[in-house]
Amino acid sequence: MYIIIVGGGKIGYFLARQLLEDQHEVLIVEQAADKAAQIAEDLGEIVMVGDGCEASTMERAGMARADMAIALTGDDADNLVVCQVAKHKFSVPFTIAMINNPKNERIFKMLGINATISSTSVILAHIEQELPSHPLIPLLTLKGGGLEIVELKIPPESQVVGKPIKQVLLPQKSLITLIIGADGQVRLPTSDTVIQVGDEVVAVTMLDSEESLRSALIGAPSVRAF
Amino acid sequence: MRVIIMGCGRRGAALATMLDGEGHDVTVIDVDAAAFSFLPDSFAGTEIVGSGTDEDSLRRAGIEQADAFVSTTRGDNRNVMAAQMAKHIFNVARVITLVHDPIREEMYRSLGFRTVSPTRIIAESLREAILADDGGEATGAAAEAQTGSEG
Amino acid sequence: MASHDPMARLKTFVVPTDGSPASMEAVAVACTLAKRNKGKVFVVHVIEVRRSLPLDADLSQEAARGEEILAQAEKVAEGQDFEVEGELLQAREAGHAVVDEAAERRADVLLVGMEAEGTFGGFQFGRLPQYALKNAPCRVWLWRSAAEGMS
Repeated sequence: MYIIIVGGGKIGYFLARQLLEDQHEVLIVEQAADKAAQIAEDLGEIVMVGDGCEASTMERAGMARADMAIALTGDDADNLVVCQVAKHKFSVPFTIAMINNPKNERIFKMLGINATISSTSVILAHIEQELPSHPLIPLLTLKGGGLEIVELKIPPESQVVGKPIKQVLLPQKSLITLIIGADGQVRLPTSDTVIQVGDEVVAVTMLDSEESLRSALIGAPSVRAF
Repeated sequence: MRVIIMGCGRRGAALATMLDGEGHDVTVIDVDAAAFSFLPDSFAGTEIVGSGTDEDSLRRAGIEQADAFVSTTRGDNRNVMAAQMAKHIFNVARVITLVHDPIREEMYRSLGFRTVSPTRIIAESLREAILADDGGEATGAAAEAQTGSEG
Repeated sequence: MASHDPMARLKTFVVPTDGSPASMEAVAVACTLAKRNKGKVFVVHVIEVRRSLPLDADLSQEAARGEEILAQAEKVAEGQDFEVEGELLQAREAGHAVVDEAAERRADVLLVGMEAEGTFGGFQFGRLPQYALKNAPCRVWLWRSAAEGMS
């Protein structure tokens, strides 16, 4: 595959390195000449100096034949435009953008950016896990079908403690796929598997069934952290 | 008409002043409060400090009731991102965005946005000025230079 | 005394050529030394492939021109009753390809010809010689031809 990465920061660098190891053709488009030179020294002639948001730069970079465009600049608006120009002007089939402000995920998804990565969201999710209010942690949104994988820790006050899965009233199209016990043991549950306190339940559910799933597994409604 | 203008630089301020003068309900949003100094004292609209690409700031600026949204900053990317949020998230009826880069302007126009390219407009104006008929009136510096050399 | 001749062990030469007179001079110089030391000369022409094309793209026009250039180098060698080996390469950057070639051939010298004056007058220190000086594992000689007006 030919993959173009816009933004030559640390993430771009390590990503490129890994992709090269996996035998892909990679190009990093980096605005700062000194950063570009640094990358070229380590990874070879896989860098180009230029503004990745400019269509003319993208043209020179061969965006028209790229299989993927990955926008990793520090600016959400720039990343959005890189992906949009790649998609609409150069017909790049798959675009990925880094997002700094988690709230921007919505507009990126609406505009057809295939994947968005927000490290803020990931960190927040980890923080939320430690909070007593027990919200449901989205792990991954699955392409198409409006499904996502979520994770939820069973608190002591949950109504399903001590109950087998078959007795839990789950919303439609929800499935508990994995249970990680408090002891760290991973179980592939059957309908007879009993849910215990401290179990981390990994489930597949519809995007708009999150709350129903939460209620089914915990009971009392929570106050979301954000 | 309720208009939200993103960016209170010279262009945004000029537009805000014009529309305000025509009796429209104008709100200007800019990340830098100092930018509002471009507005005249007579400005009757609202000034909001915030980012046009931030949903919450846009809500504070009243985008949910806005009839029109215009992005006028110097940054093309911010402008188009805000415009797209105005259109797709808030369904603002009229969305206009400034895009300096002619190639990106064309692209966003083809995506259904009303765009204005200062680059194109200025280039066209200059071109007209250069190609202006010799028989016509020479204006400004050119005319002065002529009189000077004949004087 | 022959054993103290510093040039004696220089047997393998890599000479990049873009068809310029200076690079042909470099070919001639390499041939002289290689012949004397019973060594070899590899003449390399690199077609720089722009990124909008895959690296192995079929560039028949550039390839034909490259072959012409290599033929020219062969003629220069013939003039000295010597034979060179021509290499036509496709790469993103000529400097990288030439240095890689020098490493592969375990060259003793990478001999780079440079014109005294660029197209717009004045010396231009190109990307290839810069890269070569910085990265070549072997000796690098710059052969800058004499300036105009010198015999």
